[in-house]
Amino acid sequence: MGGSGRPPSPPLGARDAPAKPWRPSRRSRDIQLAYLLLSPAVLLLLSVLAYPVGWGVWTSLTDLSPLKSGAAEFVGLENYRRLAGDPEFWRAATITIAYAVVTTLAKLGLGIGFALLLARPFRGRALVFLAIFLPWAYPASVSVIGWYWTLNPPISTAYSVAMGNVKYLVDGMLGGGAWSFLSVTLFNIWRGSSFIGVFLLAGINAVPVELFECAVLESKSAWRRFWLVTVPLLKPFLALAIFLSLTTAFADLANVWMLTGGRIVYPIIGTHAYWLAIRGGQFGPASALSLTLVPFLLAVLVLLFRAFDRAERERA
Amino acid sequence: MAQVLLKALNKKYDEVHAVKDVNLQIRDKEFVVLVGPSGCGKTTTLRMVAGLEEITAGEIMIGDRVVNDLPPKDRDIAMVFQNYALYPHMTVYDNMAFGLKMRKFPKAEIAQRVQEAAEILGIHELLKRKPRQLSGGQRQRVAVGRAIVRHPQVFLFDEPLSNLDAKLRVQMRVELKRLHERLETTAIYVTHDQVEAMTLGDRVVVMKDGWVQQVGEPLELYSKPANRFVAGFIGSPAMNFADVTMNETNGAVWAESHGFRIKVPADRTDRLRPYKGQHLTLGVRPEDIHPVGGADSADRSFDAVVDVVEPLGSEILLDVKVGPTSMVARVDPSVRVKVHDPIRLALAPERLHFFDLKTELAI
Repeated sequence: MGGSGRPPSPPLGARDAPAKPWRPSRRSRDIQLAYLLLSPAVLLLLSVLAYPVGWGVWTSLTDLSPLKSGAAEFVGLENYRRLAGDPEFWRAATITIAYAVVTTLAKLGLGIGFALLLARPFRGRALVFLAIFLPWAYPASVSVIGWYWTLNPPISTAYSVAMGNVKYLVDGMLGGGAWSFLSVTLFNIWRGSSFIGVFLLAGINAVPVELFECAVLESKSAWRRFWLVTVPLLKPFLALAIFLSLTTAFADLANVWMLTGGRIVYPIIGTHAYWLAIRGGQFGPASALSLTLVPFLLAVLVLLFRAFDRAERERA
Repeated sequence: MAQVLLKALNKKYDEVHAVKDVNLQIRDKEFVVLVGPSGCGKTTTLRMVAGLEEITAGEIMIGDRVVNDLPPKDRDIAMVFQNYALYPHMTVYDNMAFGLKMRKFPKAEIAQRVQEAAEILGIHELLKRKPRQLSGGQRQRVAVGRAIVRHPQVFLFDEPLSNLDAKLRVQMRVELKRLHERLETTAIYVTHDQVEAMTLGDRVVVMKDGWVQQVGEPLELYSKPANRFVAGFIGSPAMNFADVTMNETNGAVWAESHGFRIKVPADRTDRLRPYKGQHLTLGVRPEDIHPVGGADSADRSFDAVVDVVEPLGSEILLDVKVGPTSMVARVDPSVRVKVHDPIRLALAPERLHFFDLKTELAI
């Protein structure tokens, strides 16, 4: 532990004694020790985070591909240049952003509704809580099948005929694959609003109830109270909820894949990258594609943390 | 300015009957304190006046309006909460202006009222700060300011000083009293601290288990408690209680216990004679027990042993044992005694309290 040169520990209680000459050096020793103690965690993070990310960045600058014999060659920003000129990329990017924004808005709206509903006691609240939380607690892979069969019934009944008509109607209006992408969106909202609802409920419960009561004394309008009191007080929680929702939408792959059975008409960045890498064997462009999300998420993160952090400091 | 009338007020939760038949007339400009141990129903009563709790049964009138079905906003009350309830995202100014803004007052009037209140409370220079930058005392002032700017008919205070340290609490207590004298607004104040109740209240309402035990002016509660609970709750250190047996010898009534025997003063003999042969609870305030010389009249004095000595500077509290009974006496600081010393004590017979053993009512 690098303690060879350390003076013997003073007895307990002596630590709090008034400043002594050796104290400053002891403090710097403490800081060193702190870093030392942190190092295993830092190493772990580096190995599970920095290495793959670094590898991804490197790959995006090469023409690495299992289809190509020989070593990967460094191609500089070629992969990015090709992406910028690829209409398929812009289409995926647009769909991704629309997907993220639409689902986030819907999840936020529903989540706030759930949280407000559950914030005050009523008979059967536990059951409602369970019903609201279940979509999140349930394994996605199972619930996806439930959704898939609900929207595309496997057995032919009057219901399956009706759903078939809806599908043709939607696809007819918006183009083929629209129905299945709509189902992806609905699934995301269904599952995510459950989580955000419970998350915001925790936020509401963390706010002293008097702050809400004080507003009740001043205004009859629940709407005004909501905007002037509830929203500002929940700001840090809302910011985090938005961020989590955006990231899950941006990085989504599994849900889209499972709900569409891989027949992807509306690609998002995640599915497009997967397609490029796994089906197309183009590791370089796929890595570049994935990395285009990073600056975007970073910007969102910075924006939200500003809001979050300020509110957090004011809370004290 | 308004009087507040509570008529047969009741609050029942699923299984708890929190407030039971509270009747109370709070006069215009009066400062009334509801006091009692936690769970006595005082806060629930206040919250019913505010409109934050529904009324199970009974009626509340503010001014000449029945407010049972009025939303809180229209009751013309302003409330100060225990934890200040300041909005962390607003400046002091915005916090104080909050109620007026919600009611869509014109900006100029809001500014004028906030300035006025800030001046009264001496928080002028804090208006631009956020609550997190304020000390506890300052926050409490802002919370009071937020109530003042509303010019309400009634102020409601829910343990507003409980979160302050002891010294600040005493200081704010004085300020609140001064404020009330200046604003002359009806106020209902809830506290569990009997000292606060006694010092602030024009009248004090003592509650326990949802029932009103006694309503009266502070000194009236102190000198004429209606029952044993009020007697023990009001006053610090608390009143001493002892089980006594009432006897009559030669026309005089005596209260007897292990170790002492007290002659009941002549003017109370008639009232206590019917209890001859029965047990009663005797109550004596610590300041009504005095050390005396051995030659003192045996009608009122007895021997005790000092158990604990608590010198407080202006007085000494003596915990003494009289037979099996413990008592606290508040004596002059010049009294020199040590633990285990024998001491002769006398009670002030005209200031004794007797309570029925079963009903606990004062006799």
